[in-house]
Amino acid sequence: MQGMIFVIQRASLHDGPGIRTTVFLKGCPLRCQWCHNPESWSFEPEVFYNHDGTTKLVGKLVSVEEVMAEVLADRAYYASSGGGATLSGGEPLAQSAFTLALLKECKAQGLHTCVETCGHAAPERFQAVLPYVDLFLYDYKATGPDHRRYTGVSQELILANLDALYKAGAKIILRCPLVPGINDSSEHLRAIARLEREYPELLAIEIMAYHNLGNDKAKRLRRKPALPGIANPPQSTVQAWLDVLAELGCRKVRIG
Amino acid sequence: MAERVFHREREFTKAYKQHMHDHIAIREAACLRAQYPGALGPIEPGDLFAGRVRPAAVGFSPDEWGQTAFGYYHLPDRFREVLQRPDLSPEDRAEIEEMLEFWSRENTSSKVRARYSPEMAKVMPSDNWMNEPGMVFPLYRLCGAYPNYGKLVTLGLPGLRREVEQARDRARQTGGDAELFTGMLIALDVLADACQHYADQALELANSADPERRRELGAMADILLKLKTEAPGTFREAIQLMWIYSIVADVRNYGRMDVYLGDFLAADLDSGRLTEAEALRLLQSLWQLMADRNTRVHGRVIIGGKGRPNEANADRFAILAMEASRTVLEIEPQLSLRFYRGMNPALMEKALDVIGEGRTYPILYNDDVNIPAVEHAFELSQEEAEQYVPFGCGEYIINHRSFGTPSGVINLLKALEVTLHNGIDPTTGKLVGLQLGGLESFATFDELFAAYKQQVEYLVDFMAQQEEIEYQVAGETMANLYLSMLYDDCMERGKGMFAGGVRYLGGTLETYGNTNTADSLTAIKQLVYEEGRISPKELLAALDSDFEGYEHIRELLLAAPKYGNDDPAADGMAVKVHEHICHTVRDQRKKTNLHSYLVVIINNSANTLMGRWTAASADGRKARVSMANGNNPTGGMDKKGVTAMLNSLVKLDPSIHAGAVQNMKFSPAMFSTHRDKLKALLQAYFDNGGAQAMITVVSRGDLEAAMQEPEKYQHIFVRVGGFSARFVELDRDVQLEILSRTLY
Ligand code: SF4
Repeated sequence: MQGMIFVIQRASLHDGPGIRTTVFLKGCPLRCQWCHNPESWSFEPEVFYNHDGTTKLVGKLVSVEEVMAEVLADRAYYASSGGGATLSGGEPLAQSAFTLALLKECKAQGLHTCVETCGHAAPERFQAVLPYVDLFLYDYKATGPDHRRYTGVSQELILANLDALYKAGAKIILRCPLVPGINDSSEHLRAIARLEREYPELLAIEIMAYHNLGNDKAKRLRRKPALPGIANPPQSTVQAWLDVLAELGCRKVRIG
Repeated sequence: MAERVFHREREFTKAYKQHMHDHIAIREAACLRAQYPGALGPIEPGDLFAGRVRPAAVGFSPDEWGQTAFGYYHLPDRFREVLQRPDLSPEDRAEIEEMLEFWSRENTSSKVRARYSPEMAKVMPSDNWMNEPGMVFPLYRLCGAYPNYGKLVTLGLPGLRREVEQARDRARQTGGDAELFTGMLIALDVLADACQHYADQALELANSADPERRRELGAMADILLKLKTEAPGTFREAIQLMWIYSIVADVRNYGRMDVYLGDFLAADLDSGRLTEAEALRLLQSLWQLMADRNTRVHGRVIIGGKGRPNEANADRFAILAMEASRTVLEIEPQLSLRFYRGMNPALMEKALDVIGEGRTYPILYNDDVNIPAVEHAFELSQEEAEQYVPFGCGEYIINHRSFGTPSGVINLLKALEVTLHNGIDPTTGKLVGLQLGGLESFATFDELFAAYKQQVEYLVDFMAQQEEIEYQVAGETMANLYLSMLYDDCMERGKGMFAGGVRYLGGTLETYGNTNTADSLTAIKQLVYEEGRISPKELLAALDSDFEGYEHIRELLLAAPKYGNDDPAADGMAVKVHEHICHTVRDQRKKTNLHSYLVVIINNSANTLMGRWTAASADGRKARVSMANGNNPTGGMDKKGVTAMLNSLVKLDPSIHAGAVQNMKFSPAMFSTHRDKLKALLQAYFDNGGAQAMITVVSRGDLEAAMQEPEKYQHIFVRVGGFSARFVELDRDVQLEILSRTLY
């Protein structure tokens, strides 16, 4: 069993609890305009142009065994920190057979597992992985027609999958990328608050403030950045989002 | 009144000449008499303890003065300086010239070199390791003594005197070396006189001081006068005694301070004689004195760990010591915390607080790994191994029981370079090593590796002999009075430290270029012998031209696996290189009279200085560039994150050498935002077998440097938004944005 990844990041501190190894799978069904990992879009290896004019190939076909060898190397760190393995992307469920095989292997080894997902995948795929996932980091990106406009897909399937996972008892942290002037509408913030009410067992809601890192990467992939002119939100903007959400009754929101 | 030019040097020389053919203990005692109090620096404003150094251009030191002098040393530069003075009278000039000539022959290190065999002299043609290329160099010094400070502060000067007198009487009765003890008694007088000297000076200064300072100076004088006739009874008195001893004896590492000062501290605090704040102030002053002494690479204070009989009191001192290091912003003392599973967790908490503020102290030593390692490496009992103490840059010895000065350096990368070039040093064109054929003649990698090993083994034999000769000369030349009275088992055996007194006389060899050697071998193995992508001829041409015109070759070499990424091939090679050099050196104990002879893989600037004289290497390193530091990966070559780097580090067996340093840098956020994860990280590293950690918290300065020289800063990760990135891969404006954030 092989899968396409673009990097394995060890000693990762921000993709779930503890010290983790994050496997970034390559290929995504969405095209979020603010995406900071545009090298994760295509399911094929791509040429990445370095600043010094040299190039490197991003994307590599690897076996479950290869990935596991690297993941297991940091076992002691997971044990001491309460960490584990995280599958991210791109969209891990887009390569669901590979993802499932990795998750099964991780669980067989007794590791804590996280899946970071945009939620856009066939419901059966979620059902298949569910028993092997300790925590979902589940994106909630935009509300209403905005969702199609900024990500390329509508949100019905995503919401349905979230609902199904929640009802099946999955542990979930909602992750909300916020881009000033793009998806931080009051309607969207209200929707986030509504989800917290509707799903009281959500572990947390994390605000992921926009960063324009993706623009540079897009250029280096010889693509045109979708949001060229947007500045990174200052601390005051982030605080304003938090204030609004608090006013709307949110108690589980934090900065991710 | 102006002092006669070179007055102190003339007095010292006169004393030496007068006693030149006397018993070495008597000669040494007479020289100490001449050296002090002239070599004592004045009390500075703010000092709460007396004791500063003011070395003359000629003197006696058990340690080292100048880069290549120990024992009876002279500093030729200072002579040259004074001889250039136009106002020098002809008589003065003649006398100083004669002195220079005398000491050039009579200084202790020259005597060491004079005793080399012709072959040794050929292998080590130069002493100038900083400014000349070479595979091996001798270092002339007897550094890293840890005398028994506990005994000193318990007995005090009178108690010590009684013990020496008894030993002298025993020696007289049994026909032993009574003069050794007579020398010690004179040395104790010199120490008492130093107390008197400073007491007088303190009272003199008090005359013109403001009331508060007057009280402080008065208290100082009281203590100094008391110490002449009584053992210390308080924390402050005990510190004053250890400090003035260390100054007069010229001992530069300060022992397990929590053990020998902990009880004094606790008694003073518990009785209300001293408040926490006052105790801290005393330590801060001591810390400042240590910093001003500027030993460059020593100044170790050890706290924590197993084998402390008064653990609770010692812990109280340890916490206070860390607070002193947090608040006195200096590079000495080198505060070192030993810890073990089950130790009071408050110590590690405090340590992380201090490190997190960017102090780089305390340096962390894991007893659970180090004690068994020392047991094995030195072949000692567990009980003795529990008394290991790192000195200087990180060499282990046993507290007041063993000695192991590093008296030689080997540049492994240069040895590989010479092997690849059939015995020739390509930077000079001279034949310096064994001619084993050169890269083009080796049909397999194993042949190359065997040749490299042969080259190294040939050198190590001479280095061990060099160390032995140094001790022989020391034993014949110096009684080491101050150390011998506080070192096991000199008093019992009635012998000076190096004349058969010290229980375990060992030695160490500093190795450099370990990582670059391993990475070079990995690249050659893969690219030349396995894949055939570079021919031996091409590789030599590329190295000889420092990759000019061979950039593609350099890229291939750089892309080969590197130590520090938890990569089996690269780390496997590092292990092979490590085990080879460690065992080769350790086996010398069978060929010499040394109790142990062990590798130390330490960090100082030698990796840079020797790198300057080392040609381009097959790991892709350019000529003259620094070699990797200690056991660490080459900067920027550890690209897989901190856990992978730590996993690589623990693959190198710590039980076959006498210390290796593991440098690591963390972001301030690791210590604040992710404190729990940081603790977990270190815990797993130590559980996995990590022996020690020297932690730097990355500052704004590092990030700025990273922008200037990105290739060296691959390992810096930053939090950008909801994700992390490698700092150097970010766009300049992104970097600036991150840089502009406040560092917390
Ligand atoms: S779902 Fe994630 S990876 Fe895919 S396009 Fe959106 S932001 Fe990028």
